[in-house]
Amino acid sequence: MHAQAPPPISAVQSIPHVRIDGLNKWFGALHVLKNIDLSVRAGARIVVCGPSGSGKSTLIRCINGLEPFQKGTIQFEAATLDKDGRDTTKARRQTGMVFQSFNLFPHLTVLANCTLALRRVLLKPAREAEEIAMQHLTAVRIPEKAQAYPAQLSGGQQQRVAIARALCLNPRIMLFDEPTSALDPEMIKEVLDVMIALAGSGVTMVCVTHEMGFAREVAGEIVFMDEGRVVEHASSKDFFSAGAHPRARLFLDTILSH
Amino acid sequence: MGFNFDFALSTIPTIIGAIGMTLLATVLSCLGASALGFTFEMIRRGGGATGLTVRFLIDFIRSTPVLAWLYFLYFVLPFYGIRLGAMTVGILGLSLYYSGYLAEVFKAGIDAIPKGQQEAARALSLTRRDTVIFVIAPQMLRNVAAPLGNYLVSILKATPYLAILAVPEMLGRAFDIASETYRYAEPLTVAGILFLALALILAYGVKRIEQRLLGAGRR
Repeated sequence: MHAQAPPPISAVQSIPHVRIDGLNKWFGALHVLKNIDLSVRAGARIVVCGPSGSGKSTLIRCINGLEPFQKGTIQFEAATLDKDGRDTTKARRQTGMVFQSFNLFPHLTVLANCTLALRRVLLKPAREAEEIAMQHLTAVRIPEKAQAYPAQLSGGQQQRVAIARALCLNPRIMLFDEPTSALDPEMIKEVLDVMIALAGSGVTMVCVTHEMGFAREVAGEIVFMDEGRVVEHASSKDFFSAGAHPRARLFLDTILSH
Repeated sequence: MGFNFDFALSTIPTIIGAIGMTLLATVLSCLGASALGFTFEMIRRGGGATGLTVRFLIDFIRSTPVLAWLYFLYFVLPFYGIRLGAMTVGILGLSLYYSGYLAEVFKAGIDAIPKGQQEAARALSLTRRDTVIFVIAPQMLRNVAAPLGNYLVSILKATPYLAILAVPEMLGRAFDIASETYRYAEPLTVAGILFLALALILAYGVKRIEQRLLGAGRR
């Protein structure tokens, strides 16, 4: 309703990977997500931004069932999340999640972090799991650290491993929850570079971030949230041009001015 | 009749002969208490009516003397047709008693694991069981190594309680010698020193294990 029409898309890309309809969530009396409607098409690269407390992290945590919600549906191709969360397991299998604080398993090596779900969820034999994990570790440019423990890595390296770990399960959609917010400035670039490469490979991405440079370069669509609402959903080009919603304009001016 | 050093020395082989029983009781009670304690904590964590019951049970166990448990299991259960051997009752009693404490230790160990770990496991579609086995338990063990080791030593020092059930462990054997010879100082001193030595060795071993656990992949 507040959102503008999404940008034109080709017929091939028009099948939505995820469709969110009338999503509402309350934390007690606090209404944190208000009537969210959002379609994520195959191959879409969506950046979700907005002031803190606008509900953007909560939104993507709802998509993979980490947060329950009280109203609305999130439809995947083979699963539908609703307030009862019955399909949570199925829905979750289609998503990969990268957290702000990496959340690598500290007692496991980098390789074991990546192979754990391959072996326990996809039931791959050890050798095959390791091969798949090494492919993804190579893709995030950190294969040489396979035998290291997370504590031996820098924040940027840990986050790249976390991206590889999520990719190992071959998710249909990758969710990023402020992946660079916990990083020192000099490490942000290496993580963004990996995400840019990922975007180039056609992976469907929904990314909550304040990195507007990244958004401008990579995002096809921008979702701007404020006070639990999607205030604007526009193509990246439209969003960064003068046509944006005044609230989004104000937000952009604030964060781009320093 | 002062302390007879030679007599003390002569009691060592007999008392040391019971060291196996003491260690067996310690190890089995430790395993039993850990398994029960972990199970209790998992059930308590699950919440609901069962969780509440177990929570009450843990508090009940912790608020009663271990000697009462041993007497109860040994002398009262047979009234209800349950007859168990002295050693079985001893290990059961110590396991039950210490499980209440270990449940608290495990709780602290799990509470100390950052919430993000469970979220990452869920995001990777791991089942609850796999999450416990591969993500929570290993990190919990590292967090609880020190307190767990302390309880291990505590359990070692609690095994003499089994003497009241006539389990032939070290202190019981020392008492046997005392009642045969009417000399208490020597066998009890020897038993005391042997317990001290065992406790120190155990404590050292626990410390080494703790250091190794902390060494690998610290956050």
